[in-house]
Amino acid sequence: MNWSKQTRLNLLTFSAFLLFSQSTIAAKVTLDSSSWGAEEGKACVECHSKSSAGLTHQWKNSAHAQANVNCLDCHQAYEDDADAMEHEGSVIATIVSPKDCGRCHTAELKQQQGSVHTKAVSVIKNRMPALAEHFGSLSINDAGCAKCHGSEVKVRGDGTLDPTTWPNSGIGRINPDGSKGSCSACHGRHQFSKAQAREPAACTYCHSGPDSPDKSIYETSKHGMMYEAHKGEMNMGSDSWIAGKDYSAAPTCVSCHMGAAGKMKSTHDVGMRDSWNLNEAVSTQQYLVIFDDGEKRELSGSDPIPRKGESISKMDGSMAKVKAVASPKRRRSAMAKTCLECHSKNFANNALRQFDEVVELYNEKYGKPARNIMQALYAENLLTPLPFDEPLEISYWNLWHKGGTRARHGAAMGSPSNTWKGMADVGSLFYGKFLIQVLAVAGQEKGDALIKKYINESEHHQWLNHPDKSNPILGYGKGSSDED
Amino acid sequence: MKIDRFLPTFITRHVLFALIFGGVCGIGFILFLIEFDHYTSTEEFCTSCHSMELAAEPYRNSSHYKPESGVRASCGDCHVSEGVLSATWDHFMGSKDLYKQIFGHDYDDPVVNALRLPKAAFDARKWFKKRDSATCKKCHVKEAIYGSRTDTLQIHLEDAKDKTCIECHYNLVHRIIPDEKVFKQDKWNAMIEEEFGLEKGSAKKILDD
Repeated sequence: MNWSKQTRLNLLTFSAFLLFSQSTIAAKVTLDSSSWGAEEGKACVECHSKSSAGLTHQWKNSAHAQANVNCLDCHQAYEDDADAMEHEGSVIATIVSPKDCGRCHTAELKQQQGSVHTKAVSVIKNRMPALAEHFGSLSINDAGCAKCHGSEVKVRGDGTLDPTTWPNSGIGRINPDGSKGSCSACHGRHQFSKAQAREPAACTYCHSGPDSPDKSIYETSKHGMMYEAHKGEMNMGSDSWIAGKDYSAAPTCVSCHMGAAGKMKSTHDVGMRDSWNLNEAVSTQQYLVIFDDGEKRELSGSDPIPRKGESISKMDGSMAKVKAVASPKRRRSAMAKTCLECHSKNFANNALRQFDEVVELYNEKYGKPARNIMQALYAENLLTPLPFDEPLEISYWNLWHKGGTRARHGAAMGSPSNTWKGMADVGSLFYGKFLIQVLAVAGQEKGDALIKKYINESEHHQWLNHPDKSNPILGYGKGSSDED
Repeated sequence: MKIDRFLPTFITRHVLFALIFGGVCGIGFILFLIEFDHYTSTEEFCTSCHSMELAAEPYRNSSHYKPESGVRASCGDCHVSEGVLSATWDHFMGSKDLYKQIFGHDYDDPVVNALRLPKAAFDARKWFKKRDSATCKKCHVKEAIYGSRTDTLQIHLEDAKDKTCIECHYNLVHRIIPDEKVFKQDKWNAMIEEEFGLEKGSAKKILDD
């Protein structure tokens, strides 16, 4: 790849950003200890030891309790806050937002801001209603989708939290104070144990559905296998948790996506090391753009790469100055840093190459042809604009969102069974259903033309052009059945 | 037998009659007040004003109306003090509500009523606090709140030792209204506008009228 001088400069800036904006271990809280341990908060503990003993017991076992951080330090609110309420003489809020946690955990907040997790609501806001409401109703959104993606928490005029939007600890939750995200999505209340957040279960609570089957992928990967056998050797509670130094039994999700390894620092920006976008109909390599105000956005590899200082639009449409850009290659090399603690460079690079090739294969063989056919059918009004009212649309959706995601994620995280199952699901659906439904929708003539253009002429589907080539897999050539 | 023999000379027959008559009237008046206080404390009397019917709707779904024990608290059980003098005073003071009902804002209009409800709630809470939640205590005894969970009694005896009922237990019976400290009129207005399908900003106009 030939990088322009500007790009190289940006990469340098980004490397500096990686080095200086993060810390190897959980960042030290720099706020003076006189800023917490509110006197009034001690009474909360007294009463809550009785009224909600379990919750208080969890807190008593937390690092917060050891450091003298009590209920009020996190739950205190100002009278003007949208969700402020009076409780036993104090003004508090139920929701402790990332902004609240960030009063002390400034470094983590900075990393978390603008990360792909904080965009979990906005990236699907337009398309979620179609899936949730056509296949279910609003209630499935509240109890399903929004539980992982996050709700937009509404405070009603009487000060109560709208029960359709709360309780919710979705990772991209939009909080009444305007902040995005929920620390308790991974750091379970009220113990906030770092050991718990480093467990794969902290991630697979959400990353286990059909569109992100990472629980079964991890469990059927070599990494997951090793983790299962050596759970006790993971040193999960350690302050410093550097792969290869503080533990080496196995990597968890956190190890590769967020963890420290060698000189690489840990980060709360979980998507920073992802060079591919694996959750679209067609995967693209992606640039990470970091703005002056800490916001971030992904740019596809095919988009023009912005220069430092240039103003481009953020996810919400407003303009901001670019502070740094991380190329897919840079992001990949960050991800690969963890591999090197246990694997040789060649081993790691080859494994990642095998992953890349599955993604390319999926893209070229199924993702792009299916997308192009769908776009042609929409353009010719052969499909209604309404999603999911035609069987073909359901097949297309399952093709990339279900099987396609399983295959790509499976390859990314080294689960052969899921890579193969995902790709086999895509293939079965594509040849066994999708193409037939295309013919039904477009009619024989137009359908044939589309299939000829996008399928028959593609090298990936050449095998279809050799109907005489036999193989015993389905019993061909074994003679006629025994008559008995 | 002559009465004169047993009474001081200044108690003439007329005085005696006056005393007996006055006494009977006095007892009658007190009995009347007792009955009056009793009747004017009933749900039936209170909701004879339509505006109070609006306040009674949530009450009828509350645990004070439908308690497991079957002990129902009427309007006056909570909102009128105990004792003839105090009860009468409360009713006397309460007559300002009647005045407002007749000459004030149109409280019978559900929108006006809902928009002005928070102010009424804040006043009511102050009333309870000032009296150390006396009317709650007619039925509820702090030392006897065993509850159904483990430490309910301990919480009341230890943590709520210096507190009066209303400090914790508000928003029990009527429509939920935030504490005055955190109340936001604009948010309340917006909620009422949405509830009654009114134009944005119309609540403020109604309040200013």
